[in-house]
Amino acid sequence: MKVAEDWIHFLRKYGPIAQNGNMFDEEIQRTAKQTGINPITFEHPLAQRLLRSFNRSNNQWKSIILTGTAGDGKTHLCRQVWEELGGDTEVWASNAPYVMMTTQHPNKGKVQIHVIRDLSAWVPQQGMDWPEEKAKLLLKFSKLPSEDNPTDFFLIAANDGQLVETWKRLKDYTKDEDVEIALLIFEDLLFKQQEESDNLNFFNLTRMKSSELFERCLQGLLSHEKWQECFSGENADSIAFGPQSPLRRNYELLQEPLVKERLKMLFEFCDYNELHVPIREILLLLANAILGHPDCHEGLMTPKDVEKIIKNETVVKASLYSNIFGTNLSVTRQESIPVFRYLNLLRIGYETTNRIDNILILGETDEQLRPYFQKLVDEDVFYGADKSYRVARNAYIEGTEDDEGKTAEFLEALAAQRRALFFKIPREWEDELRLWDLTVFKHVGTYRIKVIQPLIDNKKVATHIIQRLVRGLNRIWVGMLVDRDREVYLSTGLSFSNEPVSRLLKEEIPISPRLGQKVEVILRKDDEMPMIRITLASEITRSFLLTLTRFEFLNQVADGALPNSFSKACYEDVMTFKSQVLAALAECHRLDEQEQNSELTFRLLDVDEHGTPTEETVELLNV
Amino acid sequence: MSEYLNSKNIVPNANCRRDHDISPWLDEQIWGHRLWDGQTPWLLFLEFLTVAEACLRENKLFDERGVYYPLRFRPYQRLYLRNILFNNQFVNKSFSQIDIQRDDNRIWNEWIQQMNNEAQGDIDRDFSYLKDQFSSFRDFDTVVRMLRRTVVEGDRNRRWSSRFVFPFGSEALYEDLNIRRSTASREYINFGRTGELLYLMLCRSKSSEVLRGPMKLLLQNKYLNELLKRLQPDEEDDLNNRRGRSYLPYIEHPCFDFLGEDWKNVFDLELPGFDAYQYLVELSAFHVILYQLNTATAFIPNIRKPHFVCEVIAPQKTLVRELSISNYQENNALTTQAVDAYISRISESDAWLTTIGGFAEADALVKCKEILQDKVWWPLPQADAPNGYDGPPNPDALIKQLREFARKGHGKHAGNVHRVYGRAIGLISSRGTKRLRYAPNDIFLKTLVVANVKKRKEFNEFLDDLYKRYGLVFGEQEASQTLSVEEFDRKAFQANTERLERRLSSMGMLRRLSDACAYVTNPFAKEEE
Repeated sequence: MKVAEDWIHFLRKYGPIAQNGNMFDEEIQRTAKQTGINPITFEHPLAQRLLRSFNRSNNQWKSIILTGTAGDGKTHLCRQVWEELGGDTEVWASNAPYVMMTTQHPNKGKVQIHVIRDLSAWVPQQGMDWPEEKAKLLLKFSKLPSEDNPTDFFLIAANDGQLVETWKRLKDYTKDEDVEIALLIFEDLLFKQQEESDNLNFFNLTRMKSSELFERCLQGLLSHEKWQECFSGENADSIAFGPQSPLRRNYELLQEPLVKERLKMLFEFCDYNELHVPIREILLLLANAILGHPDCHEGLMTPKDVEKIIKNETVVKASLYSNIFGTNLSVTRQESIPVFRYLNLLRIGYETTNRIDNILILGETDEQLRPYFQKLVDEDVFYGADKSYRVARNAYIEGTEDDEGKTAEFLEALAAQRRALFFKIPREWEDELRLWDLTVFKHVGTYRIKVIQPLIDNKKVATHIIQRLVRGLNRIWVGMLVDRDREVYLSTGLSFSNEPVSRLLKEEIPISPRLGQKVEVILRKDDEMPMIRITLASEITRSFLLTLTRFEFLNQVADGALPNSFSKACYEDVMTFKSQVLAALAECHRLDEQEQNSELTFRLLDVDEHGTPTEETVELLNV
Repeated sequence: MSEYLNSKNIVPNANCRRDHDISPWLDEQIWGHRLWDGQTPWLLFLEFLTVAEACLRENKLFDERGVYYPLRFRPYQRLYLRNILFNNQFVNKSFSQIDIQRDDNRIWNEWIQQMNNEAQGDIDRDFSYLKDQFSSFRDFDTVVRMLRRTVVEGDRNRRWSSRFVFPFGSEALYEDLNIRRSTASREYINFGRTGELLYLMLCRSKSSEVLRGPMKLLLQNKYLNELLKRLQPDEEDDLNNRRGRSYLPYIEHPCFDFLGEDWKNVFDLELPGFDAYQYLVELSAFHVILYQLNTATAFIPNIRKPHFVCEVIAPQKTLVRELSISNYQENNALTTQAVDAYISRISESDAWLTTIGGFAEADALVKCKEILQDKVWWPLPQADAPNGYDGPPNPDALIKQLREFARKGHGKHAGNVHRVYGRAIGLISSRGTKRLRYAPNDIFLKTLVVANVKKRKEFNEFLDDLYKRYGLVFGEQEASQTLSVEEFDRKAFQANTERLERRLSSMGMLRRLSDACAYVTNPFAKEEE
């Protein structure tokens, strides 16, 4: 029992507790040594490429900058490289932010490898002088891009902000041109998602797809050998780890393919919106998913808590489906943890359909709905409809209860059930029950299957999908509820191009290629994100990154709604794109003399009651 | 003392006395003739454009050719255009009331007849030229309606002769007039000369040459300008008498250079159509404020350059709001202090002191009056006071009265510029409380980004630049440099920058790369493909 309990305590340290020591590679290593419990491990997607940079069989060694946010695994990866190169583990364990070794290069002989595993700890504090040797070392590094035959190699791990800030300070201190150039290179690398420069490989861990990291984290967690201790032998029948235990149930749920798939989806949502979740937070979320219970200390169960939870009939509060969203934590705590903040942007639990709510509220008595209720709610003896749910529901339906607190309680329970449905609705019911309507991203299905997938398979996005996007664009750009979707209307106000209602029609860009103009949806190469690309003339194009949020926004506008949940920023983005396209159009016209002279015709847009655009042309006579 | 107060940098104003009947001539010597609170930022900009257009026509755009006074220019009156657009009841009628299909020719004639009768101002009453420009009356009608909707500050000016069509180009620019049946006289309500000062500031900025090209392009653009041209007869004698003679005291001034740079940065973005104007309008009024307050501090002894503690609007009262309120009040008092300081300079000058020390009171009064008449053109003989001054016969009382006069005069107009312009551009607001403070709105923030970020700029660097260029204080770094230890509160300013970050981000102008690194991005920066 002790071993199993120790493991849960160890796991707890990954969770959202005040002293979650397992956030830091150094501490995990230390705790692991003390307790004899191995940390959760998995191969980082970049590990192989990173190790190859200094591979003995490869003579093209390149220095490395490893940047990312806190908890992305920078230190961990540095340690792997150090060990791979045969670095002294004692030296590494010293925790010195800078370590160095001399090693054999395949054809250069002895070379030096400098590892700065924590740049901010190593550089002088803000306002302090630069020690000569440190400035010298970074100067050497800054000269790498122009170096022909370097014999010093670097591995520098830093938060992107610290990287930029350090080089800014170094620039002020040295006034060296190479430092300035290096800074510009870093900034470009950070923004443009490039990975290579001369003599330098740049790994930006914040670019990693969270969904991919999630799969590996989950695998690492589930396959940890200590779970064996919990669920075998006499522990298997104990209260803490036995068949009634929510802790065990949560562990088992994480192994179910459907739950895994939907969980991965949540991280894909983040990826599609360019929200990056570091490894540390994925592990935090997983630990919380298994151990979460709002009544326990710090919101996390220990094996000892299980007995009380069962006795108090609060098993339902340990629901994995809710823990995933951090509902076992206080609202302020949830908001302080990015991964919960991101996932709660989906509003799962609050978005719903009549059908879903009917199943949840009336499903037990309605003949038509009963099969759904049974499969989705009733069969789940842990987190389905327990006694308290039924009592609250009946009171709610009868409407006799005028205690507002009770109603609020039921609505909260209902939200929990909706969250659970997101993970329970089987694939074959996805369309029928409109799974995605449980999130704010009602069009995510289309986004994944009709946009991303074909593009990855090197196929075109279907015209009707582009048409919907174009209709959304047109409505926002023109400021009227136009229904036209076969061409993009480029219109401006008379005074300003971004007037809310823009009637002066400048150009129509057809979806299907015509005279060198077209509108398409393509994939950005480096990160497989889709973009709308408008081609005005050969070589003159403008692109609009199509995050899931923007896709949803345009589709909802095309449907006739102006969604306010995320519209402000989206609206601004779409209007900015309009400015960019108009600027490009002006560029075309500058190139095309003829266009200038023909501009004595004014085309004014209007829209009739059916949404069909009408055009009035005003012509000036030639005199 | 600031460099620019050096006498070599001051434009002599002896000739002003011949041109302007102003007494005391005092605000004017500190800031110029004149800073006028009665015009909105847009009208300020329009007035500027009329000057720029007139100078471009005479081939001297942004070029004073070393003659700093007087600037003379001949703006257009454009009475035909104004009558058509704004004094035209006929076009007010709904189109359905006119049976246009039946007889286009008849409608034209009816309309021309009516215009010929009703048009005002000194023009040949013949609007028949319009008929040859449009293929139908309907087209003409559409154009007029369309243009009328673009009127600038339409809510403000009800009088038709003070309505301004959007500045689509040289053909759309004209001066503010008071038009009666057959006469028109220059009106100074909407164009109060601050636009002329703005023009002079840009002439004297280090960027003047690079501004010429883009400004010319906008004034001479072909598209809508051509349309406006068609609405007017080919007439050369529309030009008015020469206007001008505004006075800007400094040949060089750092505020002029910052203004010019900001304009240049906006032009560099090559925004479509007239989109640049919205930012130029904001920036111009903002720089007039900066010019006024910075110059004020140059006159006041022992004072720093002004700073502006900006609250990024918070739902509740915050320390930053408190600081901003008191900071606003301090700044708002600066110009009056400058006027006082200017007078004290005279009353503490050697000339003044030797006079009151060396003569009997009656004689001293005469001598002191001479000094003041020379320095500030006051007191001047008036109907009720032939000697120009009727107070107690001693120099102390004389200077006291000057102080009162000057303060009163200052409080009427120039003293309001900071508040009035600041509110109009969205820098100053009383939102969420009753008291005024610096609480920038979205448009103002966007303008700052557009003018200060070429492509992208690290967030803290952006804040630092705003502080160095304008004295705007948003973040803890800037606050710690500006505020006293008792006032400074790190957390309050951190929260302030966090709110700013969220605001910028919701406007699509900030990208956070990680928790340690955010960049402000200019949404209009040219894209690299």
